[in-house]
Amino acid sequence: MTPNPLALIAEITHRCPLHCVYCSNPVQMVAKQAELATEEWVRVLQEVSRLGVLHVHLTGGEPAARADLEELIAGARKAGLYTNLITSGLGISETRLPKLVDAGLDHIQLSFQDSRDGPAQWIAGAKGHTYKIVLAEIIRQLPLAFTVNLVVHRQNLDHIEEMIEFIEQLQPERIEIAHTQYYGWALRNREYLVPTPEQLDRCTRAAEDAQTRLAGKTRIDYVVPDYYARYPKACMGGWGRRTLLIDPSGRALPCHAAGVIPDIQFDSVREHSLEHIWQESAAFKMFRGHDWMPEPCKSCDRKEQDFGGCRCQAFLVTGDATATDPVCSLSPDHHLIEIARAAAAAAEQPAWSYRTSVE
Amino acid sequence: MAAPLPDSQPRLAPGCRWATHAEKPVVLYPEGMIRVQGTGQNILELCDGERTIQQIVATLAEKYAASEPDKIMDDVCSFLEGLRNKRIVDY
Repeated sequence: MTPNPLALIAEITHRCPLHCVYCSNPVQMVAKQAELATEEWVRVLQEVSRLGVLHVHLTGGEPAARADLEELIAGARKAGLYTNLITSGLGISETRLPKLVDAGLDHIQLSFQDSRDGPAQWIAGAKGHTYKIVLAEIIRQLPLAFTVNLVVHRQNLDHIEEMIEFIEQLQPERIEIAHTQYYGWALRNREYLVPTPEQLDRCTRAAEDAQTRLAGKTRIDYVVPDYYARYPKACMGGWGRRTLLIDPSGRALPCHAAGVIPDIQFDSVREHSLEHIWQESAAFKMFRGHDWMPEPCKSCDRKEQDFGGCRCQAFLVTGDATATDPVCSLSPDHHLIEIARAAAAAAEQPAWSYRTSVE
Repeated sequence: MAAPLPDSQPRLAPGCRWATHAEKPVVLYPEGMIRVQGTGQNILELCDGERTIQQIVATLAEKYAASEPDKIMDDVCSFLEGLRNKRIVDY
């Protein structure tokens, strides 16, 4: 019997006022008319809580694009869940935020694209930087945990120290310095986003300095990006092992990007119970455990640590979802990552694709 | 950031709260949960933002009929400092 999941990523909408070039949403997005209704989400939240889930991460798109966000937070709290909102801040007015907290919001993760207005607007393809600063001040007055997410990449890493100092001024409990992950829109723009080795070293030093300097005040979460790691990340803590994601239309997936893998049928919460989906569905069983693994994973003593890495990345880079994650230095396809790094180092002025809108 | 002082008043940090999981007390925080039991539970339950470290240590010393309050003070302080670095406790 598979242990029950601990976390639900509720991707409640793909609508978003921003057009970030590093967005990891699927390129094929769900339209508003196909989104789950309020009462469907509330039922899902009750169901996952009964399964043992403790945390729900409300994300998108921009979750605040849903007019019923207050009701969804209240539904999560009533179901006994710890509620985290992952947001750009846009769509959360100064008067709306206290209502979200009253509804039971425990934690807010506010994303910033840069420390400077112009570059932030260039990355996001929209205005919003100044309002995020205003919102951060209001968040600080309210009783909830506050994390700032900063997505870093080749175009902003040359002033990483300035960005960290800027975020410190906002006084969050946590700063997550997240290297771009190459899924969805970010994969399209990969050659302009992959950092140089020098930038990566500088970023790692800056993050470690901040960890020391801010200990006890602000926690810095920082992970070296997998394109530069020796071994793959333990993607989602293993396929179907701890976390499930429900997309705006109600499809249950083991992770954000799994929809790109062809020939997998992802069941919908409109047709099946969460317990059935988690325990019995072919999609969740597909890469659970070790049976699916090729060599060198199968006989690797790290297979319990990284679970073979990321299936979506294996598919997106090699064309085979059952391949060893190519970021692994032991993968026979590892040269594909080396080529991507070299292509990025040679790339010039970005001519990138902004994430499009979905209505 | 330093360990708590004798007159510090520790409390759970914003967004951290008690809950029950598998019939055991846990503290939920943004990235996950910590299972608290035994002495850790006894310490954290006294961290209400009102009691001082000194009062918490005195209460624990009485509870455990301990003759070494200095040792308890050291243990309580390092326990809470570790949780503060994880942003689960404030003082």
